Amino acid sequence: EVPPSCTRGCELCSEYNGCLKCMPKLFILLERNDIRQIGVCLASCPVGYFGVRNPDMNKCNKCRIENCEDCFSRNFCTKCKEGLYSHKGRCYPSCPEGFSATNGTTECTS
Amino acid sequence: MPQTWLLFPLLLAVAAPRGAQGSGLRHGGCPSGCRCEEDGARVRVDCSDLGLTALPANLSVRLAGNGLSHIHTGAFSGLEGLRVLMLQNNQLQQIPCEALQNLRNLQSFRLDANRIHSIPPGCFHSLVSLRHLWLDDNALTEVPIQALGELSSLQAVTLALNKICHIPDHAFATLSSLVVLHLHHNNIHSLGEKAFDGLWSLETLDLSYNNLVEFPVPIKALTNLKELGFHSNSIRSIPEKAFVGNPLLQMIFFYDNPIQIVGKSAFQHLPELRMLSLNGAAEVLEFPDLTGTKSLESLTITEARISSLPGSLCDQLPKLQALDLSYNLIQHLPSFSRCRTIQKIDLHHNAIQEVRAGTFQGLMELRALDLSWNRVQSVEPHAFADLPVLSKLDLSSNLLSSLPAAGLRGLTHLKLAGNDGLRELISAEDFPKLRVMEMPYAFQCCAFVGCERSQDPWYAEESEGHDLEDLLLELEEDFTSKQSVQCSPAPGPFRPCYHL
Repeated sequence: EVPPSCTRGCELCSEYNGCLKCMPKLFILLERNDIRQIGVCLASCPVGYFGVRNPDMNKCNKCRIENCEDCFSRNFCTKCKEGLYSHKGRCYPSCPEGFSATNGTTECTS
Repeated sequence: MPQTWLLFPLLLAVAAPRGAQGSGLRHGGCPSGCRCEEDGARVRVDCSDLGLTALPANLSVRLAGNGLSHIHTGAFSGLEGLRVLMLQNNQLQQIPCEALQNLRNLQSFRLDANRIHSIPPGCFHSLVSLRHLWLDDNALTEVPIQALGELSSLQAVTLALNKICHIPDHAFATLSSLVVLHLHHNNIHSLGEKAFDGLWSLETLDLSYNNLVEFPVPIKALTNLKELGFHSNSIRSIPEKAFVGNPLLQMIFFYDNPIQIVGKSAFQHLPELRMLSLNGAAEVLEFPDLTGTKSLESLTITEARISSLPGSLCDQLPKLQALDLSYNLIQHLPSFSRCRTIQKIDLHHNAIQEVRAGTFQGLMELRALDLSWNRVQSVEPHAFADLPVLSKLDLSSNLLSSLPAAGLRGLTHLKLAGNDGLRELISAEDFPKLRVMEMPYAFQCCAFVGCERSQDPWYAEESEGHDLEDLLLELEEDFTSKQSVQCSPAPGPFRPCYHL
């Protein structure tokens, strides 16, 4: 079985788990491959993940906000799923009381 | 239908390539339905004959991970419909302010991981729709107040991983729609008293990994704050009524600070707070007054010098599930019986002297109780009688001479080591579910690990008269039921059971 080759931008590569440490400023994304996790280095995290920068490691974290497709952070959604309304970084089937979607958008404003 | 060519005259000065994608231009996906072709330094985006009545909704330009150090003024001309612009992981020292002038529909702008040291006023003047802005991992030495001030629609911004050392008054005064503000990993050592005024909508503030020495008092202006982080700073005290202005707080992260003093009323009136953890506050002598903080589920106050607990503890914390007051100086325990949802109590390393009948009575959810390393001399007969799901009890290193078994039939883990005066036999019938035991003496394990026959030669001649088959059956039965119990200290040749 040919070990996965590390993507460019990798600073520390491992035969079975891909990249363990990326070059500065790049994000590491852990992709699942059967029972293994394969490290990949990216300049930006894919849709459905958000980047968390730290001095020692930048990491792509899964966006776990309900009904959200893309996140700014652990608790702020930047893009809700089709047909849902966004308000203060959360996704709703309809705008909360006192708010309404402006001229055809899906964003609730007061 | 006029042809919609989106010329993309990217006449860009490309510095030495770095990072994953190396040289050359790598930019984002083609808008849905359009056809994109690279033509040298240009990119031709052909969206003609698609029946479009407006520009593609999610038009985005992704230039992340190149070596861009300069962007031409007209780089994005004709792209008024641009929604997402990703310039992160480049070499920009200045923001291409002129190139942004027509981007009135831009909603997400990534500039993180560049070398930006300042942002001139007016730079973001036309970005009236901007919601999300990434400026983290740059070289900013101060908050770009005037530039940010023009972003009235901004909802989320990160200025993390820069070199900001002070937040002046009114730094974000016009950002009334801002919901998330990340300032972690800077060098912030001081805050203007009105630093956070105007942030009416702010729900998340992260000040972690800075050099703050004082508690961030200016947070009192953040009436909608739900999550606050100021861990990993150099803060020594939390004042009285510290969060009086933040009644909606759900999470506060302040670990890794040398906090010694905490005002008794510091954590009052936080009805949404779920978890509170304070470790090593050596000058905290009293249990905090948690009036109005009624949703707390987990409370940890360790390595302080609390010597007594209020009788009203459970009335203040009716939803408590986990309580950890280890490493304090507590001598007497109030009744926990009104802490009806509590599942775990850690009181080890205190000075508790007795366990009364009413102390833990009626705790229907209590699973684990750790009273090790105290001075418990007596446990009243029915102290554990009414704890139907208690499975772990640790009374090791105390002064016990006996243990009432009432109510402990469900135990799987029982630890009594270090009670030198406890020499009585523990009956296996009283503890049918035990799996792990730590006893003061080896012989107390004999009832649980069947050491008489299988290991001790002294008993060899006694078993000869038995029919071999019976013996094997008996051994097998003994082996299966007792072998699953791990009991220490395990009896052996030098610790025989024979003197039972």
